[in-house]
Amino acid sequence: MHIPDNYLSPSTCAVMFAAMVPVWTIAVNKVKAEMENVKVPMLGICAAFSFLLMMFNVPLPGGTTGHAVGGTLIAILIGPFAACISVTVALLIQALLFGDGGILAFGANCFNMAFVLPFLGYYIYKFIKDSVHSEKGEYIGMAVGSYVGINAAALCTAIEFGIQPLLFKTAAGQPLYSPYPLSMSIPAMTLPHLLVAGVLEAVFTAAIFVFIKKVSPGTIYQGAKQKTKAVYGLIIALICLTPIGLLAAGTAWGEWGTDEIKNVVSGGNALGFVPEGMANGFEFEALMPDYAVRGLPDIAAYILSAIAGAAILIILFKVIGSLKKDKIGENIG
Amino acid sequence: MDNQKAEMQGIPQWMYTEENYSPRSDRDTFINKSILSIFSILSRIKTQGVGTEGKYSVNAVFKVAFTFMLLILLSISQSSSFVIVVMVYLLAVLSLMEAKMIVKILKVSLIMTLFTFVILLPAALGGNIYSGIMITSKVFATITAVNILSHSTRWSSITSALKRFFVPDIFILVLDITIKYIVMLGDFMLNMLYALKLRSVGRNKSKYTSLSGIAGTMFIESKEMADNMYNAMECRGFTGEYHVCSHFKFTAIDFAYIMMNIAILLIFLYFGRA
Repeated sequence: MHIPDNYLSPSTCAVMFAAMVPVWTIAVNKVKAEMENVKVPMLGICAAFSFLLMMFNVPLPGGTTGHAVGGTLIAILIGPFAACISVTVALLIQALLFGDGGILAFGANCFNMAFVLPFLGYYIYKFIKDSVHSEKGEYIGMAVGSYVGINAAALCTAIEFGIQPLLFKTAAGQPLYSPYPLSMSIPAMTLPHLLVAGVLEAVFTAAIFVFIKKVSPGTIYQGAKQKTKAVYGLIIALICLTPIGLLAAGTAWGEWGTDEIKNVVSGGNALGFVPEGMANGFEFEALMPDYAVRGLPDIAAYILSAIAGAAILIILFKVIGSLKKDKIGENIG
Repeated sequence: MDNQKAEMQGIPQWMYTEENYSPRSDRDTFINKSILSIFSILSRIKTQGVGTEGKYSVNAVFKVAFTFMLLILLSISQSSSFVIVVMVYLLAVLSLMEAKMIVKILKVSLIMTLFTFVILLPAALGGNIYSGIMITSKVFATITAVNILSHSTRWSSITSALKRFFVPDIFILVLDITIKYIVMLGDFMLNMLYALKLRSVGRNKSKYTSLSGIAGTMFIESKEMADNMYNAMECRGFTGEYHVCSHFKFTAIDFAYIMMNIAILLIFLYFGRA
């Protein structure tokens, strides 16, 4: 679910980042007000916990393995606002230090996994727990909450991908960023989550929670009682928001369809831009045909290709050298 | 004869019978996989401390700022020539690094590039070759840039650079604790996974349920660690505020780095967005 850079347009990234700023501000203030200082290191440790949880490979049918995110679990354990900060930090480490998920797309990734996932998951859990009043209700709420949470996050990711070809096109009508429309990105993102990752997340959340409750019941976050009304509001707001996604999907279907039809009906239109794209593509494939780069003076291009050649050779030799060293080391060991 | 000898030495009879117990094979690749992935993370963090920053190191603040600039320019630019220039620049920087780091950086960026290529393949086959190739090469460039930053800079310098960009203290505190505790909790978890692996002789049906036990125990352990750490921090007078004490020296390397990046900015303007 980690969006790399360049799949989303810079403006989308800016919007998502701007959307996260108030969330982060509220979360920081809320945590400062609600939590005693004693618990602040807990946030870092929970971030480490969530980071490691993503390292945890769980067997899946078919011989592969998958991992859970644990956003809902952390929200249940330390509260949704603190979970927001923790998951944000875990994502920051992944983006900045491990190259997993983009830096420009950081806002979007945080929106999906540090905001939508823990908040929705937590409030669904709380809603079900408060309305059922039994231990069973608590477990059901947790499973449903984490399942819905991760799927909502996947849906948001899909929508962010899917609106790219609608909003950002070249003059010739070709998408600049992620090329797949909503009608393709939504099933591609949500189906695996609905079938596999969501179930995994729910099972993992419930199993860990049961264990912690059995062994150390005092550690679980107790939300303030009067919040329940706000929960209804949030759920209603989110329910109102979901059709927007569907609506957008609907229009995308239509637009995409007519585009297709246009291309099919008037073949000249399609022929008009495909060769251009191919021409650009081929030029790029050759990388630097005749050591020339389009738009650069010859000398500069020549120097540039010389640097590239030298750099690639140095890298190659260093890599080969390091491989040899490793082998010698192995023999000795 | 043998029996008498055995009794004389006080060794019980059953120890002399030959044992042919062979444990039934069971699938435990997922434990190995978890162990491996945690191990790679731990080694990555632990190697951070030792001399990653050589003599010729650029100030981390500049590095973070200009890497960020590079990412934005790459993302905005629609000119394939600009992307090529940036890739050449990154390759040149890469060629100056140690071989081991080159391998690590290239591994990550090539895997991600391949992944992107596979994802974009259907679109490219559908006639959208240009954006497919542009995005793939941009992904390669951005990931290489970020990895060069993270491999050539000590993470503590990155946190101190973040402080200069007005990131709130609580985030820096949490970030700091997280990086340290990934190692501590990771070690802890690794030991539990080893224990699970060693105890699972033959077919162990409760292996899957013990996974949640491991995660749960890790959480409880981490809570105790958090309490202890807070007490220790309080004893040492920590109030939750970070102060950067810098011995800032503007070196020739810094100057060269800034010039290089200004050159990239100019090249970007030269090619324009088209």
